[in-house]
Amino acid sequence: MNSSDAVREGLIPLLPRLRRLARALAGQVADADDLVQIVLERALARAAQWRPDAALDKWVFAIARNAWRDELRARGRTQHLFAPEEAGEMAADRASAQPAQQLELAMALAALPPDHLEVVALVLVEGMSYGEAAELLEVPVGTVTSRLARARATLQAHLGKDA
Amino acid sequence: MNPIDDDTLQAYVDGELDASDAARVDAALTHDDVLARRVRQARAVRAQLRAAFDPVLDEPVPERLSALLQPPVAMPVTPLVVPVGTRTDTTRRRAPRRWFVPGAALAASVALLAVTLWWWRPGGELVRMQGDQSFAAGALERALDHALVSEPDAKAMVSIGLSFRSNDGHICRTFVLHPAPARAGLACHGDAGWELPVLGTAAAPEGGELRQAASSMPPAVQAAVDARLRGNVFDARQERAARDAGWR
Repeated sequence: MNSSDAVREGLIPLLPRLRRLARALAGQVADADDLVQIVLERALARAAQWRPDAALDKWVFAIARNAWRDELRARGRTQHLFAPEEAGEMAADRASAQPAQQLELAMALAALPPDHLEVVALVLVEGMSYGEAAELLEVPVGTVTSRLARARATLQAHLGKDA
Repeated sequence: MNPIDDDTLQAYVDGELDASDAARVDAALTHDDVLARRVRQARAVRAQLRAAFDPVLDEPVPERLSALLQPPVAMPVTPLVVPVGTRTDTTRRRAPRRWFVPGAALAASVALLAVTLWWWRPGGELVRMQGDQSFAAGALERALDHALVSEPDAKAMVSIGLSFRSNDGHICRTFVLHPAPARAGLACHGDAGWELPVLGTAAAPEGGELRQAASSMPPAVQAAVDARLRGNVFDARQERAARDAGWR
């Protein structure tokens, strides 16, 4: 089996997690799945660069994060992806489970700076360790920790009434 | 005992502390209500995120995504030949959703309109080999020779997509073969007929949107088009003129 086949087959079981990560990053279902499509195409095109001793999930999540950053740049807006009136729709989409609390969560996520949102997505949604996230983002662990703390504080301010 | 700072508390909640530090926090929690409240708040954020996004894991994966991971089609032909470098450059330059769809004129020709193949023979040979190159044959060759996007027929088994002059001067056309599993490819006209540099499995379009029509082209075919496209794809008039000129 060549590396292209290995990557292609290895990606199939990763699709649900990749979609979850993309949903956390991109928000809207359609945007998120467009992002996944970009990621899959890049991963297949770069299959030769994947080393079998490297974890395929981390490799493809790194591609996802970079593709998402590229998309942000392409849109020319690095802070707020969605206009306020879109945020409502996006929120509804992002947290389809409906409760008002989740709506608030989604709107709070949409307002996070990209640096914070990607740490939240990798650590709190995908479940990576700080060290794994730091490696993927190519920043020191301390940076991951501080970004996560600030993102958490922002999210808690939106949500934390009941805790 | 040292006070437990925010970073330590967060690391505790995220399972990042080693056993002895975690035990220290555990001990503090038993008599520190403020600390316990902060832990609850930090856990609540994590729990809400999981509640919001974990259901995505159970959603069915859209066909257009899973189709990208299907094995290359075992057509009676040579496999896809797409230089990896080219494909990488292409994706970096353009996201698939934007593909090469600059304007409305192009929109008309991208739509995979169908043509009748009343001479279609089931089981007829669609590809012939010449040396190590594959060429269109039979009904596929006839569709490439005659079919125009501007003369659609809903019953067609071969759909022509884009026609354009490639950067080496030959005219190329994308096509989709409809009998399941749908196959898509690129054909470029030369002295020996329609050479097929790329074939792949086509994802079923999920709707009428242009973006989805474009997305239904396998990435390898998109990449092959991208690598060859210089200038615009043909509009209806140019397509007809090219046919009348024998695709030269």
